[in-house]
Amino acid sequence: MARVVVLGAGVSGHTAALYLKKRLGKAHEVVVVSPNSQYNWIPSNIWVGVGKMKTDDVVFPLAPIYAKKGIEFVQAKAMALWPEGDADDDQPAVEVEHTSSDKAGQTEKIRYDYVINATGPKLNFGATPGLGPDGGHTVSVCTPSHATEANVKLDEVISAARSGKTQRVVIGVGHGTCTCEGAAFEYTFNVEHELRAAGVRDKVELTYLTNENELGDFGVGGMQFEQNGFRTTSQLWTESLYRERGVKAISGAAVTSVDDGVIHYDQLDGSHNDLEFDFAMLLPPFKGVDWKAYNKAGDDITDTVFAPSGFMKVDADYSKKSYDDWSAKDWPRTYQNPTYRNCFAVGIAFAPPHQISKPRATPDGLAVAPSPPRTGMPSGTMGKVVAFSVADMILKGATGPTHSASMAEMAAACVASAGTGMRTGTAAAMTMSPVVPDWEKYPETGRNLKETFGEIGLAGHWVKRLLHTLFIYKAKVKPGWTWIPE
Amino acid sequence: MDDTNERIATAPLPTPGELRRRRNPFIQFFRFMRINWTMWRLARKHY
Repeated sequence: MARVVVLGAGVSGHTAALYLKKRLGKAHEVVVVSPNSQYNWIPSNIWVGVGKMKTDDVVFPLAPIYAKKGIEFVQAKAMALWPEGDADDDQPAVEVEHTSSDKAGQTEKIRYDYVINATGPKLNFGATPGLGPDGGHTVSVCTPSHATEANVKLDEVISAARSGKTQRVVIGVGHGTCTCEGAAFEYTFNVEHELRAAGVRDKVELTYLTNENELGDFGVGGMQFEQNGFRTTSQLWTESLYRERGVKAISGAAVTSVDDGVIHYDQLDGSHNDLEFDFAMLLPPFKGVDWKAYNKAGDDITDTVFAPSGFMKVDADYSKKSYDDWSAKDWPRTYQNPTYRNCFAVGIAFAPPHQISKPRATPDGLAVAPSPPRTGMPSGTMGKVVAFSVADMILKGATGPTHSASMAEMAAACVASAGTGMRTGTAAAMTMSPVVPDWEKYPETGRNLKETFGEIGLAGHWVKRLLHTLFIYKAKVKPGWTWIPE
Repeated sequence: MDDTNERIATAPLPTPGELRRRRNPFIQFFRFMRINWTMWRLARKHY
């Protein structure tokens, strides 16, 4: 009997665990380790952040789902990886610390035959002094509780605006190396919609603050697509959206610190700037979760297994190259660790070989370099692909991964939707294929123009609402769940 | 020099016709089907 341990129960980890169990059946064990007792459909946190959904609409308990499927669930966080085993046992292990109320603080080693690292990111608010809701001066929508708090603060802004006070709202990213600019864009879109619905739009100055060199970059170097007989750019498309909605923007910015009511940021031209705010939602940068790796003798091999960012090394080309030499071929296909072949990393947990957007820096050397997004559609697909490979290695004796999916081949979709109801919502929907531009295959734009598009209107809003329902249905493993794609 | 707000100020605005199309349920239904079909196809392309 083989045991597969999946670390993390987000989109990629949950997907991997479900497909593994489906393929492996009762003959083999699947263990999920997650510090959270609940699954969170993160894309809908945005709606919690503007009060259009409650926390209960975007989370559900994991334990009953795993019990039903015969998957063992351990509520704990990973502390260390022992990929060669330890002095007591040759079998590799993951050292975990329990987080459930009855076992909090207890540690144990869970032995494995295969491990899939889907731990996601550490929300690194500490990278920018004063950033974040815990001891800082800004809010976030990264977790349901953060989003709930953001909504409370937003309501205060709306109340103040109703009483006639002009309010300054800033939405964006809180560090030069942040990713997920699409989420900040979507929250901007939603907040603007709510301010208009509340009748206070004229009392609020709304500013989008981003590390993107130009609007519409989204950490993927921007996009080109065809619209009404023209080839346009995601930059012009986003600028048009912001003009229509009266949103101001600051681009190429690296937030250096946040004080009460003031954001300090540097820009690529070397300027040091201050931006006053009454409400600021700034996303944090991501880093790998805080855990270590040790060899059998107990020596620290963290640098062998993980990149300096804390994310796990996989089958990518990590050699140092100039931006002009970057290639779609650098990106991983199987997500297998090159040193320990029974270790895999998926979703945000794998170390990307380089940025997708061109990295830049201020004259003072401060990085203004959006990190590559690795969430949503690609994240789920990675989980599925690795589950199939591991299942083949166990069941068929395959000597290596049998399935692959590179981000230089996979597509992604982003739907920024605002409002509620069938007639009152609106959305900006985008797809890109592939996520990482392949300039050899698509020399003109780096992407397939038939599969890359932007669309604004009611339809995108319906799509987003449908996706919310479908993906939660799928995550709850209801009948026909495998028919819903990642 | 950050020219982002100058670019936003000169970005194209949708025409009244385009704004109507964005809210027309009949037109939007077909766009809804198109977006769904495209996303389904893209997701299924890789598993």
